[in-house]
Amino acid sequence: MSLKKFSELFVDLDSSNSTNNKIEVLKNYFFSNDPIDNSWAIYLLTGKSNKRFISGRYLKNLFSQIYEYPVWLIDTCYLKVGDSAEVITLLLKNKSTSRKKELSNISLNELLSKTIPDLSKLNEDEKNLQIKNIWERLPEDYHLIFNKILTGTFRVGVSIGLITKSISKLINIDEEIISHRLMGNFKPSIDSYEFLINKNINLEELNSKPFPFLLANTIEDKIFKNSINDFQFEWKYDGIRLQLIKRSGNISLWTRGQELVNESFPELVEKMSHIKDDFVLDGELLVWNFKEQIAFDFSLLQKRINRKSPTRSIQIKYPIIFIAYDLLEINGRDIREIKLENRRIELEKYFSKWQNKTENNISDIFKICDLIFPNDWPDALTYKEKSRENNTEGLIIKKKTSIYSSGRKKGIWWKYKVDPMQLDAVLIYAKGGSGRRAGLYTDYSFALWKDEELIKFASAYSGLTNIEIKELDKWIRKNTIEKFGPVRSLKPEMVFEISFEKIQISKRHKSGIAVRFPRITKWRKDKKINDADSLENAYELMKKIS
Amino acid sequence: MRTKQEYLIRYKDGNLYCELADIWIDPSKPVKKALITHAHFDHFTFGCEEYISTKETAILLKERVGDNIKIKTFEYGEEFKINGINISFHPSGHILGSSQIRFIFAEEKWLISGDFKLQKDETCKQYEIVKTDYLISECTFGLPIFKWDESNKIANDISKWITNSPEKTSLLFCYSLGKAQRLLNEINNTNFKGKIYSHGSIHKMNNSYRELGIDIKDTIKIENKKKIDELKGSLILLPPSLSKGTYLKNFKNIQTAFASGWMSIRALRKRSGYDKGFAISDHADWDGILEVVKKSGAKNVFFHHGDSEAISKYLVEKESINVFFLR
Repeated sequence: MSLKKFSELFVDLDSSNSTNNKIEVLKNYFFSNDPIDNSWAIYLLTGKSNKRFISGRYLKNLFSQIYEYPVWLIDTCYLKVGDSAEVITLLLKNKSTSRKKELSNISLNELLSKTIPDLSKLNEDEKNLQIKNIWERLPEDYHLIFNKILTGTFRVGVSIGLITKSISKLINIDEEIISHRLMGNFKPSIDSYEFLINKNINLEELNSKPFPFLLANTIEDKIFKNSINDFQFEWKYDGIRLQLIKRSGNISLWTRGQELVNESFPELVEKMSHIKDDFVLDGELLVWNFKEQIAFDFSLLQKRINRKSPTRSIQIKYPIIFIAYDLLEINGRDIREIKLENRRIELEKYFSKWQNKTENNISDIFKICDLIFPNDWPDALTYKEKSRENNTEGLIIKKKTSIYSSGRKKGIWWKYKVDPMQLDAVLIYAKGGSGRRAGLYTDYSFALWKDEELIKFASAYSGLTNIEIKELDKWIRKNTIEKFGPVRSLKPEMVFEISFEKIQISKRHKSGIAVRFPRITKWRKDKKINDADSLENAYELMKKIS
Repeated sequence: MRTKQEYLIRYKDGNLYCELADIWIDPSKPVKKALITHAHFDHFTFGCEEYISTKETAILLKERVGDNIKIKTFEYGEEFKINGINISFHPSGHILGSSQIRFIFAEEKWLISGDFKLQKDETCKQYEIVKTDYLISECTFGLPIFKWDESNKIANDISKWITNSPEKTSLLFCYSLGKAQRLLNEINNTNFKGKIYSHGSIHKMNNSYRELGIDIKDTIKIENKKKIDELKGSLILLPPSLSKGTYLKNFKNIQTAFASGWMSIRALRKRSGYDKGFAISDHADWDGILEVVKKSGAKNVFFHHGDSEAISKYLVEKESINVFFLR
């Protein structure tokens, strides 16, 4: 089996927009290739191989040196392509026709376990020569994959979920089981692949399966006609939704995206395993400010999510907490059919039992969510408005008599989110995007008025549709005042509604304010720049909130 | 060096213009006298008093816009005089009838490349090397990342793309004039032997090509009410304008692709929204443009249409050629 097959797989996956197609293509690939190459394919496709052997800059310089190309020309090409590995691949076309393609039968395994890692053992001159050699001896169709692995930028539109689905189809075993097997430190080897496709499921695997999550709907007006006493009120935390499972002594942490995240949060796994009972809890994982007893920003949680096996110091720097809001199973008994108000009683009962009995103190990492008791609907609204003070996004409202069904079923749970903050701002700078957005101006900076001057206050990338991006790109090219490298300053003419989550004083910014998660929510073509907001408006907004 | 005003041909209001002959080349607004390099709509505008082109271009234009235009035609290589300037058309290899236009005045030669390509294309005359002092060249693909594969390789890829999904209907989007006929000609030599349909606009151009003596494989004109089963495993050629909107709802279980030089870049391919891209172009790639610049013998080169800055800078650094770009 050769790199050829993997290269074809890459092309197939890259040229399909259909999930079903991709699953089928993957399934066929796994079916027809040997275990060791399959294990490497999984390793690459799931992005576990992001090690960068050399930088994109290095690759460009090396090409410039070997083929006597001016670096500025390569950089100009990069602006169009947005990926160093691809630029070099395109420039390499027909550069190496003279040599015999001795590497046309190289296997994925050999390339990844030997050829590429061996580069690190060479000094710079030898390494450069070796890369040149590989370019010349490798068929052109494989250059992109080679260059991408080299620069640690191998990515294709395949999620771990798709891999899971295709393996699951291949061997006819539930996705959750495959997901469980794929978790952790997947090392490419024959053994790890054979473990993955083993048709015998052991008990531990069965035990780890989560229940389908129940999801909240956006608030509907008709709810206000009901008595406030029919509902349970909780804060809506901005964390990661988790099912925390303990069965036969083993803990599994499942996200809504069917991802097992035990390894990212070992301290939680460790503490919870001291509890004697078995259970399935539904709740939210947060990075917690223990002093003030509120959640930290989601951005801190992000520092934990993608980090496997966090060090002790990371664990201390970003302390996590699991806040349970539901109990779904207790000691093997599925209680999802019991009314919410009764499940809550069970949850409280067991929580206090665990707190009292467990040798290790669990309350520094696990608690159950506090309930809110508004007197009437206007009172509920007041709570909602206050939710920013404790870093929550609003309220979750749950019908007390509801059972725990699955999916986004109507009439059970609602989210009542606090409105985002908004300002109308003027577009003043644009910068070229990279990757999929290469060649288009997609990074924008916005300004607010201060007397007669426009002062930059936020940058945003998201929120426009592809059609709007193209339209705006055209406008940007026609209305550039000045170019500074990749950045263009623009004629102040376009007004956009910018939404954000938080606004605070910042000495680092010229505007004196900083906003969180700014995003474009509307292209206000109806507004002239004089209609845009001023910094004063921003300060008022800040006052109103604090 | 002369000032801009003194050049035989210059840019005026965004178009190429020869003041001495009071004649415009591919003007984008109505003028008295217009030379037309080829029959694509971005090189043609209604309302000119008189058009001058090759015979083939004239026939294709009339087929597209009606007989209601006044066109004078000349053969390739045939010289004609306007105000003492010798003017002639030469094959540019872009599409059927496409031409470069040479001006000779007072022993000074000017060449307007028109849209051109050097690659093999059996549906039109091969690009002819024409000697000149001044060259005005397009550079749509004026970056070294553009390096075209042989067109038969692309045709084989297309053939494989269709036959690998026998359950699907393959929709290939391409320009109705030129690209579609070139693709049909190339696909004819591949292993794909299934049915080929084409949209009315393409069908019409196929007929015109045939009337002009080009051998184009017969295709079935696509009707909106074709049965799904009948279309399974077949190829349908459509103009890109139909790729967005409701037209595609006429089909079930489709895969889509776009045939264009831009499809050589992954980011553009992904953004285009087509499942697949085939990088085949009727414009010259980087090496093609450089070859034309060299072989034409031009000492002064003007670029327009495309990334002119990079190729200009490159030529100034590498060759002793004066390079300008027109706006």
